Amino acid sequence: MIIAGIFGDIGVLLSDTGMWSNLIEFGIVLFLAALGEVIAEKSGVLNLGVEGMMAVGAMTGFWAGIETGSPWAAAVIAAVAVGLFAMIHGVVSVVIGADQVVSGLALTILGLGLAAFLGTGLVIQSAGANFSNLSLGPLSDIPGLGPTLFSMDGMGWVALLLGAITWFVLKRTRAGLNLRAVGESAATADAAGTAVVATRLVAVGIGGAFAGLAGSYLTLKVTPSWNESIVGGLGWIAVALVIFGAWKPGRVLIGALLFGGLIAVGPRFQTRRCNSGETADCITTEINPIVVSMLPYLLTIAVLILLSIRSRNRPSLAPAAIGRAYRREER
Amino acid sequence: MFGLRLAKRESPIPGGQLLAFSLGLLVALILGAILLLAAGHSPIEIYAEMADASFGSPTAWSATLTQAVPLGLAGLAVAVAGSMGLWNIGAEGQIIAGAIAGSWVARLGPDLPGPLLITLMLVGAVVGGGLLALGPALARAHLGVNEIITTLMLNEVALRLVRYLVNGPWQDPTSVGFPVAPELPEQSGLPTLFERADISVLIAGAVLILFGFYAARSKWGFELRIAGSSENTAEYVGISLKRKIVTVLVMSGAIAGLVGGLRLGASDRIVEGVAEGWGFAGIIVAALALMRPSGVAAVAVAFGALRVGGVAIRGQGVPASIAEIIQALVLIGALGAAVFTTYRLVGSGNSERGDDAGLSTSELAS
Repeated sequence: MIIAGIFGDIGVLLSDTGMWSNLIEFGIVLFLAALGEVIAEKSGVLNLGVEGMMAVGAMTGFWAGIETGSPWAAAVIAAVAVGLFAMIHGVVSVVIGADQVVSGLALTILGLGLAAFLGTGLVIQSAGANFSNLSLGPLSDIPGLGPTLFSMDGMGWVALLLGAITWFVLKRTRAGLNLRAVGESAATADAAGTAVVATRLVAVGIGGAFAGLAGSYLTLKVTPSWNESIVGGLGWIAVALVIFGAWKPGRVLIGALLFGGLIAVGPRFQTRRCNSGETADCITTEINPIVVSMLPYLLTIAVLILLSIRSRNRPSLAPAAIGRAYRREER
Repeated sequence: MFGLRLAKRESPIPGGQLLAFSLGLLVALILGAILLLAAGHSPIEIYAEMADASFGSPTAWSATLTQAVPLGLAGLAVAVAGSMGLWNIGAEGQIIAGAIAGSWVARLGPDLPGPLLITLMLVGAVVGGGLLALGPALARAHLGVNEIITTLMLNEVALRLVRYLVNGPWQDPTSVGFPVAPELPEQSGLPTLFERADISVLIAGAVLILFGFYAARSKWGFELRIAGSSENTAEYVGISLKRKIVTVLVMSGAIAGLVGGLRLGASDRIVEGVAEGWGFAGIIVAALALMRPSGVAAVAVAFGALRVGGVAIRGQGVPASIAEIIQALVLIGALGAAVFTTYRLVGSGNSERGDDAGLSTSELAS
């Protein structure tokens, strides 16, 4: 009886298109931000500034949406702005060689503060631009995938495209090989003639631009409004996702959809669902949404522990030079 | 081609960190002034008001010291781990865990006399913070799991735990649906020291001084520094690294937990925002203080003043987030300035030492 109830409830949940579109929206945000972090970390630079970069992106995108009226222009402006903002971390940790953890966290604190300061007047405003869902004709009528995957907006497709490009460049091109070499052993890459500092700066900048896109998607689509706590830990989830996805764009996408799903499902677990007007037909689930929202973080810790047990006899999946500044004279 | 490059100094400039901090502060104040000007305020007036609110009177000093307490203890928590080369990014979560444990104790014994209740609450908070750090500590010591990420993730878990408690099991039944916990027993408030400052100033000062001496003078502190500088040396002289990692990280968490307990003593109930970013600010404080307890105290007072000033200028319509911005800029500026205390700029034509050493600026630009 209870089991039937739970299954009935999951059935209701699965047919809830609002849940599916939330899953995809949060999945896009997390995927873009985590993809940027993959690029930076692959070059050997840990950037713990994602949370702050996303806040700057969300604020800038929202402001640019009001100014330009175009979600695409706003997203590009946010990406460029945050790419430049990320250069603070680039200069401090790559050029000067300060500790990457400290510099990244400073970027988060600065980003959250700046976004709150500059966005003070935006809190009461309504969105000037919105991504609207794309209908793909007959594809959008397929049950299940139709109202979800084949109805997502352009940024969803851009995110998938950026994911494919990132995978291709990292895996199949000379530039990607150089970037990975810099992240594995900067001294070896340097000896082979790769410009270590320039490569890392570019990686940090692109990573920042992706975080900016992710942040702007929050204010241009997910919650079309701005407040200073809008990022609310999503940046930390993105950092977690990179580990969860073992620094591989494909696995990061799966992780983004999984964590996006947890965020989308959370608030829907506690609602009382009634299959008919009869009170006896109502099901009240007891899973607290706040408890569900802890899962991405706990899962990441679990994955980290499993990875370290697994990698005892195997090489670690993380880029070997991550977290280490490179100075030629100290090699 | 003529260019400039960085060459390592034979020894760092004496007092270099103080210089770097001052330069960082200067840069931050200038950039902050530009922000204030852009927002249509007079930076000189705003800064003068901030300085007056934080240092202008005994009341101002009491407010500054009150803010310096959580900054100093959170900074010490990070510094304890940092002196061994470990990063506790989880002070934020451990502060929350301390506050949760402290208010749990208060819920158990609401009728205990004040001094006993306060002591038990603080002990509970220390245990709570230490417990949240125990998992990352064991994982790091025995499995080699990176403590940066685990402590970071637990921040978000702790935040959601307190949110769950005040929205559910601990919700005040008389709060008509508001997600707040009931008020703590009246006698749990910390006694006043002077003006607005309570005795948490004394407690924090004592912890900092005790720890400073202990770390500097004891065998334990000596071993800690060895383990921080070289794992191999530590193993060679028979220091158990695993035990050291666990004790240091748990101690770090416990100190952060104490912050949670002291914050409870200064307020009437536990709230979701009990950690208020203190834990993250503690990382800035510790980094600026180069993980030294004496430096932590000094930076904490400076940043405490910034926070008091930031709140004071709200009345002028300046968002208080200017304080956070300046804090982050001080750190970034100091990180940038620190390079010149260990490195120096030389023209690449100047070849008193090996020309291959250092990065040339032309190379950076390529």
